[in-house]
Amino acid sequence: MSQLDHEIKLLKEEVISMWKMVHSQLEKGLSALLNNDKDLAREIVMIESRVNAEELKIDRDCEDIFALYCPVAVDLRFLLAVLKINTNLERTGDIAEGIAKMIIDTEKPFESDLLDTTHVIEMYHEATLIVQEILTAFVNEDSAIARSIFRRDEMLDNINRKANKMIADYINTHPENVEQALSLLSIIRRLERVGDQAENIAEEIIFYLEAKVLKHAKKKEIE
Amino acid sequence: MMNPKLRYRLVKSKSVEWIIVLFAFLITVPLIAIIFFVLKTGISKISWHFFTNIPKPVGEAGGGIANALVGSLLIVLVAALIAVPIGILCGIYLSENKDSKLASYSRLAVDVLQGTPSIVTGIVIYFWLVKPLGTFSAVSGSVALAIMMLPIVIRSTEETLKLLPSSLKEAGLALGLPYHKVILRVVVPCGFSGILSGVMLSVARIAGETAPLLFTAFGNPYISTNVLKPMQSLPLLIFNYATSPYEEWHDLAWGASLILLIWVLLLNITTKLITRKWKVQL
Amino acid sequence: MESTIISSKNFNAYFGANHVVKNVSIEIPQNNIIAVMGPSGCGKTTYLRCINRMHELIPGATTEGEMKLHKDNIYEMNPILVRLRIGMVFQRPNPFPNLSIYDNVIAGYKLNGMKLQRAERDNIVEGSLRKAALWNEVKDTLHKKGTFLSGGQQQRLCIARAIAMEPEVLLLDEPTSALDPISTASVEELLFDLKKNYTLVLVTHNMQQAARVSDKTAFFYLGELVEYDKTKEMFTNPKDNRTQSYITGRFS
Repeated sequence: MSQLDHEIKLLKEEVISMWKMVHSQLEKGLSALLNNDKDLAREIVMIESRVNAEELKIDRDCEDIFALYCPVAVDLRFLLAVLKINTNLERTGDIAEGIAKMIIDTEKPFESDLLDTTHVIEMYHEATLIVQEILTAFVNEDSAIARSIFRRDEMLDNINRKANKMIADYINTHPENVEQALSLLSIIRRLERVGDQAENIAEEIIFYLEAKVLKHAKKKEIE
Repeated sequence: MMNPKLRYRLVKSKSVEWIIVLFAFLITVPLIAIIFFVLKTGISKISWHFFTNIPKPVGEAGGGIANALVGSLLIVLVAALIAVPIGILCGIYLSENKDSKLASYSRLAVDVLQGTPSIVTGIVIYFWLVKPLGTFSAVSGSVALAIMMLPIVIRSTEETLKLLPSSLKEAGLALGLPYHKVILRVVVPCGFSGILSGVMLSVARIAGETAPLLFTAFGNPYISTNVLKPMQSLPLLIFNYATSPYEEWHDLAWGASLILLIWVLLLNITTKLITRKWKVQL
Repeated sequence: MESTIISSKNFNAYFGANHVVKNVSIEIPQNNIIAVMGPSGCGKTTYLRCINRMHELIPGATTEGEMKLHKDNIYEMNPILVRLRIGMVFQRPNPFPNLSIYDNVIAGYKLNGMKLQRAERDNIVEGSLRKAALWNEVKDTLHKKGTFLSGGQQQRLCIARAIAMEPEVLLLDEPTSALDPISTASVEELLFDLKKNYTLVLVTHNMQQAARVSDKTAFFYLGELVEYDKTKEMFTNPKDNRTQSYITGRFS
């Protein structure tokens, strides 16, 4: 194995470990939301700094590899993709942190019928699953899985689109719980952004594997 | 219709080409003629008897050239023993010290030595060795021949070693070899085929030398292996018998000429073969 | 903390009146690959040849200053012993053309007249060729001449020949400049493996090669040592402007 191969393998392992960290942040967030576990939420906020440190480390390693090995072709695309995936992962981490802060700031546990009507738990599940799936696509270098993400993201979009109306209805019927309803709306918005980040990552994976640029393309062309 | 000027040039070019081919062919003619003539007259004189007997006295048919064969071999061998070590060492010095003052003088000396007429060498040895020793001797002939061999051995050694890349020497030195081992175990073995071919060619060159032997080895009608006494050799035998008035002796001279010619040809051909076989692929 | 194996302090080298290496001070840590790069005529090869005292073999060449192997001054040692401890590989592969592959590997022993048992010899040959990643390619043709190998194989044979002497340091003078990219890659990979047992000093024209294989890099310019640092640092954040211009190809 050449030195470059070796470095790329190490980098890939690092990205995967960061990815798992971000994924577990999301999972913990869901658990904290369901159980109104503020300690768990605080843990998420603390771990976020490690995610940030990891992002910096991956950036530095990419820089070193660019400087020392002058990668070309698939190696070059891999590194470019990793640079962007790294940013997307870090943002996903930020989102998990944002949700955790929201949970910390909410005084009472979320009303269960509020959670039910907005389908936020399903949405959360789906978002976490998408992050997990796209990791599988990255690990196995499987562009078919990466493509399937675009369809899965539509579910998140659907819930998000209906969210305004649902939250508005809820506020009308439960005017005493406006604050919680608005927090939940904000969580829904964030989860939708997790889906967007996953989509961006999927695009980068396809770019790395197939050298096709999908950014800004119409959905139909993608599929 | 072709441009006449162009046609003239084409014709000129073709004719020059033909002239060159013609001359290249012409230079082989003397060699072929000599070989053919010597072969024709000499072959019938050669028999087993011819190799194992010494010349018979005048008037008796038969006789051989055993004394000259033994003598020639001995004289050339001793000459080679003297000239080869000195020549190779001198060649090594010249190739190793390309720019030293001594090298440029000794290179000049070698060139002058190469141009020295063989008869002059013979006379000088006569005054230096034969006179003080008080007798003609084979060894003085060997010395004269060795002096003639030297320039050829020196120059071929020098040229061969100069062609070896300096990276070879560096490879040896970088392995911690002392200088003398680099020379003896790296440089000389790598140039071995070139050095050997120089030695062989010089032997071929002196095998037929007559002039320096006239004053030194002198000749001897009997087989002798004492290098301090006069000794017969092929060129001397040919010279003496061919200029004699006796038919039987003329026959011997023809036979001896053929043997000498074959000897020199074989030396040249083996040199070519050996050089090709032992040539070190750089 | 890595220990220093070679250190030079205010080291100078000359060809006659020509001052080619100027006041160079470097400390080379053990089991590292040090790349020495710089434009042609910057003194990098001369500096390398000073380390095992090959420089002084050229008529008119002199040196000045301190050059140490561990704690011993190289210039107070016997040059032959220095060269046994510091091996060298040259720009063009130079196996001995009159020796077989087998004999080339043990040439350092054989030509020096060091007697070895047959089994010991076989061991050294196989071990060195394995370390040089050449064993599998030549194990059936050990008694063929070394010059029948390809350029890259010849260079690895020369590396095997050098490491057969068990040196502590291996100097490499542009070892891949005469090789094609595939052979270059195989030699570079080999350097990486050799790092475990030896300290390597690699002179190279090719700064990409310096970047790829070395732990630390020294940049020479006009006989001076401009910068000496970790390779990663040198290629991402050079401290000197001249280094920056050189590695970005903006030298004028």
